[in-house]
Amino acid sequence: MTRTLAPLVGAALDRVDGARKVAGAAPYPNDVRYPDLAYAALVRATISAGRVSGIETEGAEGAPGVLTVITHLTAPRLSRGPATSIGPQPTPPLQGDRVDYDGQYLAVVVAGTREQAVAAADLVEVRYEVDEPVLRTEDPRAEREENPWHFDTTRGDPAGALRTAEVRVDSTYTTPHLTNNPLGPFTTVARWDGDDLTVHDSTQHTANTRSALAGVFGIPEERVRVLAPFVGGGFGAGLRSWPHVTVAAMAARVVGRPVALELTRPEMFTGTGGRPSTVQRIRLGSTVDGRLVAIDHHAEYPAAMDDAVRYRVTPRGAGAYACPNFAARDVQVRLNVPPTGHMRAPGTAEGLFALECALDELAFRLDIDPVDLRLRNVAEVDPENGRPWTTTGLRECYRVGAERFGWYGRSPAPCSMRDGHRMVGYGMAGVTFGWTMMPCRAAATLHPDGTATIATSATDIGTGTYTILTQLAADLLDLPPDWVRVELGDTRLPKAPAAGGSGLTAAVTNAVQDACRNLLEIVRNGHPRGTDVRAEGASAPPEREDVAPSGAFAAVFAEVRVDPDLGELRVVRLVTAVDGGRIMNPKLAASQIIGGTVGGLGMALMERTTPDPGSGRIMNANLGDYLVPVHADVPDVDVLFVGGPDPLTPMGVKGVGEVGVVGVAPAVANAVHHATGRRLRALPLTVENLL
Amino acid sequence: MRTLEYVRVGEPAQAVAELAADPAAAFLAGGTTQLDLMKIGTVTARRLVDITRLPLRDVTFDGGDLRVGALVTMERLAREPVVAQRLPVLRDALLAGASVQLRNAATIGGNLLQRTRCPYFRDVATACNKRDPGAGCAALEGVHRNHAILGTSPHCIATHPSDLAVALVALDAVVRLLGPDGPRTVPLTGFYLPPDDTPRLETVLRHGDLVTGVDIPLPAQGTRSGYLKVRDRASYDFALASAAVVADPGRTRVALGGVATVPWRARRAEAVLREAPEAFVAAAGAELADAEPRRDNGYKVELARRTLIRALSTWAAP
Ligand SMILES: Cc1cc2nc3c(=O)[nH]c(=O)nc-3n(C[C@H](O)[C@H](O)[C@H](O)COP(=O)(O)OP(=O)(O)OC[C@H]3O[C@@H](n4cnc5c(N)ncnc54)[C@H](O)[C@@H]3O)c2cc1C
Repeated sequence: MTRTLAPLVGAALDRVDGARKVAGAAPYPNDVRYPDLAYAALVRATISAGRVSGIETEGAEGAPGVLTVITHLTAPRLSRGPATSIGPQPTPPLQGDRVDYDGQYLAVVVAGTREQAVAAADLVEVRYEVDEPVLRTEDPRAEREENPWHFDTTRGDPAGALRTAEVRVDSTYTTPHLTNNPLGPFTTVARWDGDDLTVHDSTQHTANTRSALAGVFGIPEERVRVLAPFVGGGFGAGLRSWPHVTVAAMAARVVGRPVALELTRPEMFTGTGGRPSTVQRIRLGSTVDGRLVAIDHHAEYPAAMDDAVRYRVTPRGAGAYACPNFAARDVQVRLNVPPTGHMRAPGTAEGLFALECALDELAFRLDIDPVDLRLRNVAEVDPENGRPWTTTGLRECYRVGAERFGWYGRSPAPCSMRDGHRMVGYGMAGVTFGWTMMPCRAAATLHPDGTATIATSATDIGTGTYTILTQLAADLLDLPPDWVRVELGDTRLPKAPAAGGSGLTAAVTNAVQDACRNLLEIVRNGHPRGTDVRAEGASAPPEREDVAPSGAFAAVFAEVRVDPDLGELRVVRLVTAVDGGRIMNPKLAASQIIGGTVGGLGMALMERTTPDPGSGRIMNANLGDYLVPVHADVPDVDVLFVGGPDPLTPMGVKGVGEVGVVGVAPAVANAVHHATGRRLRALPLTVENLL
Repeated sequence: MRTLEYVRVGEPAQAVAELAADPAAAFLAGGTTQLDLMKIGTVTARRLVDITRLPLRDVTFDGGDLRVGALVTMERLAREPVVAQRLPVLRDALLAGASVQLRNAATIGGNLLQRTRCPYFRDVATACNKRDPGAGCAALEGVHRNHAILGTSPHCIATHPSDLAVALVALDAVVRLLGPDGPRTVPLTGFYLPPDDTPRLETVLRHGDLVTGVDIPLPAQGTRSGYLKVRDRASYDFALASAAVVADPGRTRVALGGVATVPWRARRAEAVLREAPEAFVAAAGAELADAEPRRDNGYKVELARRTLIRALSTWAAP
């Protein structure tokens, strides 16, 4: 029998976990309680470089309720866990006296209550030998690593093509350090039973936390169980297993009791990564009729001293424009900054900001409509390897988005549109997002009462994985959706990749489909009544030599108003057209794009993590001073899906996790140019640049 | 653990006595500043005297003055019909502040006594003369994009954050106080102290002085007034620059916010306007002539100038 993907897949089902969440019944890591739970509080460095010359713990040790104070002098020796696809694990905490960044953990206090731990942590006194920190990429003392992850590419002869190009753009763009700020403070609750470790953690990747902890403590992976059934958001912050996770597990081992460690908001700014600041020089060469002949993109950005994050800012394949000559070069510069990580389309958001603004500069120079310029340069094949894309919805995104937005109603000259005294601008950007898929496993179980359970270790960080897997299994097993239970976020369940890189939905839906097929096969062949029937399934990235797997495509259109006297910039309208392959649930997918758009607006208008220029200490590490958009900043966001299932995998899903973020900042910056004639090349686009 | 005593008082005199008896005691109103600063260690108090039960919640109108009790919340005052009709500058300043959740908790007295948002004041690991006299001012060379350009001193450039106070200094409001020596009144224009070499001293209040209310002389019928606030996001954000304008017939009163160490009555601008009621550009220029910007807040000179011109053009133009 063949099951069809209908009527539920593709339907706008409400979130199946929504009611539990609003009722407070969904257990997040910081809801976990054990009867003998102890609480940890961190002591962090207040200098960016140097060493700890003395650390006084007696006062804290004698404080009420304190069980222990662990410092680098007393901490067990730890190893670094194994590297993953996103790079090496962060440096294990409390292993030496060196201080490499302000915010680095220097001690942990464990006490009977959280309040006791926090109060005692205040009593720990640290003395330092202070070094002059290296805080700027242009500092001659800074160690520079060219091509750190071997992503650099050169095709053709970009230098020669630039020299002879009829028209050139040569601009430098900068983006600031940003912090993910998921709503839920990251929490780890760790508990040991002998050599068995159970960890409840705010992670986007349970399998990574497990292998990291197994490596750190030198125990087999099977002895570590990581649970993350609900996570209060991540935006990429939960992709790495950060030092506090290790600290919690270490503390639990030392006190012989389960320990909860909930990060404070300021700790989230130094302890869970973020988007590094970038400086990007981009050079474009073109013919007078707007055919790109050269793209040379160079990006420089910080990495923490004793850390390494696989990262790439210059977009792959020159952002998928059909350009015969291109070069992409990344440089990581070691600074005394907190470990960087991954945030909302890491690298791509910064890189495409520069590229899509530079294209707008070119369009203006050539007097060609920005959409038309992009249409003239759409890469019909993957520029990196010449293979045809599995699907190409990009032209469709431009067409549908422009039509919905009313793009061609604009008068092209800058400063030519007004609304009262305010200047009006239209801007746009195109997005070709990278494709990612990792191997994934899932299980499907049919119970004697006719209901079914789908299980995988994947996490749902608020994106809707519970819901789409419910829809999928209900269709495949021909059950009503409330007969399907989905279990997620537990390493005892079949191993799934990270909720990240826009790759989880493709991986997990294909695995679940396989599991359901295998289950139906067993059922068809007859099975004993009254027992559970269980089948596993798997998916893996198809290895194809003939095609280039395409990720999502998008076109973003923005309308802004700028007060010419006061410099106030407001975004009044946004349209995003997305080709995301098969859309499992249009409501959730649109929510994801809207969420991404708001993140993109924050990046465009206001977000910036601000270090003290002399000391490197972050001076706005709280949600009062680190601005994110509020409702009044967010206009109507119109999301349109185009295209259809991608033939690469059975499910035809491409992933829409991050594609909503990346086009927004360049579309807004380009709209500002259209409104005011000013080309702002530094984010965020704040008042002082528009006066 | 830091232990804390909490007492609730029912009479203003009792509140004053509680504080007078204990140098480490502080008043607690809505708590939106006080508790925040205690949690991050910027202020310490051993004893919190909860004044929210005091009978200081009335808004009355005696013909000349609007008398506002110190414990009236920001949101409630903004919604008073007389405020909407006769004091648009006050309503706008209130509604441009904080968020509705905060405004429902935050009191008028507390608003006037809120503390600067300077990040160095709020971060005990850094140098701040206001928090720790003599420690130095890390903002001078540090993060100061949102710091003051008027009323600064070599010891402190912290911006006064209140929107309400800017409207009230333009309106010539008077603060009613009850102190250990009895009641007294202070005009709001003389209430705040610029930092000079004592940034710790922010107002003329002495320990134990309770703000019991604010009296606002109603401008003449037909007076136009308004409050313009420029900020990084559309709502829920402190001012980068703001201007309050009260254009009584024959006289225009002006104050600036977001750019000064105290709510800034723009006397120089007013003097220019007395001579030439429509010389908005000259008035704004005069007010900012002695502005002292630093590395990253130079834009505020121009922004404040333009904000003031816009506000004057909106409410003071004939
Ligand atoms: C996130 C955030 C955003 C904000 N945005 C703005 C804004 O945009 N504009 C703006 O104007 N404000 C803003 N505020 C500040 C807010 O308006 C003040 O925190 C609030 O008005 C303080 O009032 P409260 O009743 O909570 O005072 P409390 O916090 O209780 O007290 C503040 C101080 O005043 C003292 N005090 C209180 N009442 C009296 C009294 N009657 N007599 C003597 N002393 C007293 C207290 O001891 C304390 O020192 C914001 C605050 C926050 C937290």
